[in-house]
Amino acid sequence: MANSMPVVQPISARIADRVSAQTMAIPWYIWCCLTSVVSAVVGSEWDISWHKSIGRDSFWTPAHILIQLSGVLAGIACGYLILWTTFNKRSPLRDVSVSMWGFRAPLGAFLCAWGGVAMVTSAPFDNWWHNSYGLDVKILSPPHVLLALGMTGIRFGTVVMILAEMNRAQGLYRAKLERVLFVAVAFLMGMTVGIMQEHTNRVFMHGATFYAVIMFTAPIVIAMMAWVSDNRWAATIMTAILTVVNLALVWILPLFPAQPKLGPVYQHVTHLVPPDFPLLLIVPAVVFDLLRQRTLTWGRSRQATTLGAAFLASFIAVQWPFAHFLMSPASRNAIFATTNYPYAVPPMSPWVRNVFVPTEASVGEFWVRMAIALAAAVVMTRIGIAWGEWMRRIRR
Amino acid sequence: MKIAVQSRWLAILAFLLLAAWPLCAHVGSPDVYYEGDAGPYHLFVTVRTPPVIPGVAEVRVRAVSGGVQAIRIVPLRLTGPGSNLPPTPDLAEASKDDPQFFTANLWLMEEGALQVRILADGPQGNGELSVPVASFAQRTLPMPKPLAGLLFGLLLVLTVGVISIVGAGAREASLEPGATPGRTNVRRARIAMAVTIVLVLALLYLGRTWWGIEAASYERRVNFYKPPKAETTLENGNRLVIRAQGNDPRWSVRINMERVIPDHNHLMHLFLISLPGMEHMWHLHPAKAEGGAFVDDLPSMPAGKYQIFADVVDERGFPWTLTGMTELPSISGKPMMGDDSSWSGEPLATTQAHSTVSELADGTRIVWDRANGPLKSNVAIDFKFSVQDKDGKPVEDLEPYMGMAGHAELVRSDFSVFAHVHPSGSVAMASLELAQASLLGDASSMPAGMVMAGDTGVSGPLPPVLSFPYGFPQPGDYRIFVQVKRSERVETGVFDAHVD
Repeated sequence: MANSMPVVQPISARIADRVSAQTMAIPWYIWCCLTSVVSAVVGSEWDISWHKSIGRDSFWTPAHILIQLSGVLAGIACGYLILWTTFNKRSPLRDVSVSMWGFRAPLGAFLCAWGGVAMVTSAPFDNWWHNSYGLDVKILSPPHVLLALGMTGIRFGTVVMILAEMNRAQGLYRAKLERVLFVAVAFLMGMTVGIMQEHTNRVFMHGATFYAVIMFTAPIVIAMMAWVSDNRWAATIMTAILTVVNLALVWILPLFPAQPKLGPVYQHVTHLVPPDFPLLLIVPAVVFDLLRQRTLTWGRSRQATTLGAAFLASFIAVQWPFAHFLMSPASRNAIFATTNYPYAVPPMSPWVRNVFVPTEASVGEFWVRMAIALAAAVVMTRIGIAWGEWMRRIRR
Repeated sequence: MKIAVQSRWLAILAFLLLAAWPLCAHVGSPDVYYEGDAGPYHLFVTVRTPPVIPGVAEVRVRAVSGGVQAIRIVPLRLTGPGSNLPPTPDLAEASKDDPQFFTANLWLMEEGALQVRILADGPQGNGELSVPVASFAQRTLPMPKPLAGLLFGLLLVLTVGVISIVGAGAREASLEPGATPGRTNVRRARIAMAVTIVLVLALLYLGRTWWGIEAASYERRVNFYKPPKAETTLENGNRLVIRAQGNDPRWSVRINMERVIPDHNHLMHLFLISLPGMEHMWHLHPAKAEGGAFVDDLPSMPAGKYQIFADVVDERGFPWTLTGMTELPSISGKPMMGDDSSWSGEPLATTQAHSTVSELADGTRIVWDRANGPLKSNVAIDFKFSVQDKDGKPVEDLEPYMGMAGHAELVRSDFSVFAHVHPSGSVAMASLELAQASLLGDASSMPAGMVMAGDTGVSGPLPPVLSFPYGFPQPGDYRIFVQVKRSERVETGVFDAHVD
């Protein structure tokens, strides 16, 4: 009997967890925010593909509607949540909320609301920008960055809301929330890395600037994910989700027919142009998780230095030769989709000619920027660790 | 960082200057007027170019010959890549009042030499023509005050909001449910908010600097397409040397003046117009010299100040008008030869008077058959002129002048507008030839009034009535020079017009 106790107790505990997980449903506002994030992800990728393939759009394209739906959904859900928590004295969320400007709500709700206001602000700013400087057919412009900040606010707010709930939960319910968290953080990294996609085209992959850009945007999220989760493979799982989503876009979007409606047209386009083949971030993510498990007892700065340097080294080790492959005829197929050029890319562009573009003027400058990439990898990993440790403590 | 700050101030300065400067590109007349045949249909096309690129051009098509059921339009590059892959055409909307008048909005996505291809459908079949369009950024807009106020308010909300959210998060986010924040939490929140204030201010500063750099970059594009300066020197008493100087340092790198293409038989059409009253006008054709310069041995002319307009077309088919002012001494030059021509007469009337008859030296006259009522700016007009002998009968001895039935130059009193137009419209003939060449196999699309020298189809005299499609870009007093050729002699009629 005494020997059977250790077996019986875990079983009952597991049953209790399962019951808890079934009865403890993920709150509606988390689903709303997650739906808002997915809506923005699909809308943004669709919109970018639309601009690459068709060109002309209006306020009411399906892609724009999805992006606007994202802001509206997050805004209404979090606005209601803030008002309900503030004015309903019996709201169970009052004890797990923070106060701001006399309102009370979970911290994530305020972040999502902030993101919604930023998205709304970007609209008239962007419209004036078009009238004043012409339609900006690029991702990185001040009004677009403000829009991206708003979208990031909603994604980060969603992550914070899930984490607050997760950090208060136990057992299977916590595991359930963690699975949702992986998806939310993957989309957050999709935002931080994706906003820089004009600098991560394959033509730049043999320049140090490309690696510096990735080190400024990826390790911070990967480190945060690894530190907020109990899962030993958190960074790998999260990066794998992002990679699968990006692969799905690469393979699904070309299935839809499309024709340019703007000119001049330089490329014969017959279908929606997908994004570039995803970066091989999965490899440094695996290296990150492996090394983290072996350095748990180290000091945080030493750990960040090791993990950051390993992240950069492993990323260069796979992405550099992979860039050669992406430039080769072997990649010109439906799997790697390296011949899907936007209609407005001239035939003499290095992209179309599969020629690397040097981003540094000299060998010396190349190594200086590589040093910057290394420093960025270490510093951003350290910030990500601190960020993750703080996020682990979030209860509200 | 110093450069960034400088760029910001340059951008601010550019904003202030743009608010005060009139448009002066090409020169002050960016819209395109064109008359030609799309297969069996005779069309009058107006392309109102957008002030910013990418931007939306307004295209108006009037089917003069009637019988058109549908008009579709597509933009392409004039030459090279992008000139052979048309996007899905836009269907123009027919007017409810006039079914032969069509309008459409067309996105011009790039600067440079483009063409707008017009496809006409009707019971007589299909036809197409191509209109060259010089696409370029003309200006930037200052931000309206109400919008600036709205954006500033929202920016304030976002700034204070993010600082407050960080404070709330640092103060309460880690507390167990139901717990109240202690003094440590409050102190931590204050530190976090202070750090956030610094970060947000730094971010705002960087954002503003970036905005300034973007604005300066756009401003450079605007400057690039402003009319280049015609820098002149006088050598050996009568040899005028002209060099082009762009308003942007990249201009001389990208535009090769040694590779300009012939525009109705000449590489450059030089107009010297006396200041201030336009009492004298010379239409000359300098020759190319080394280093991208152009030279002309001037004919005899009185001393004085002269406004320079010099038309060239670059190798991509983009038309440029060099502008400048020169002060010349009295010149004793050679007699004019070939296609060179001149005119002397009364100064421009600025009393809002209109002239419709211009007497020529031999008693013949050119008559402007203009509609009653005031002339309006930004309205497409078919300027009709007839050449009559001293008895008022149509002359029968008009010849092609540089391959065309006639030439007209329209100049605003302050020289802010200059247009050199032909019976086919305001497009440069060299650009038009490139556009027509892109319409492979469509010989029916020869532009109206264009009878290129050496064309075997031309024999006998030209009709005595000429028409020039054009629209005044802004109100003011204008002088119109109309040039025709009779019995191997170029005749110039002059008309003054006030535009409301």
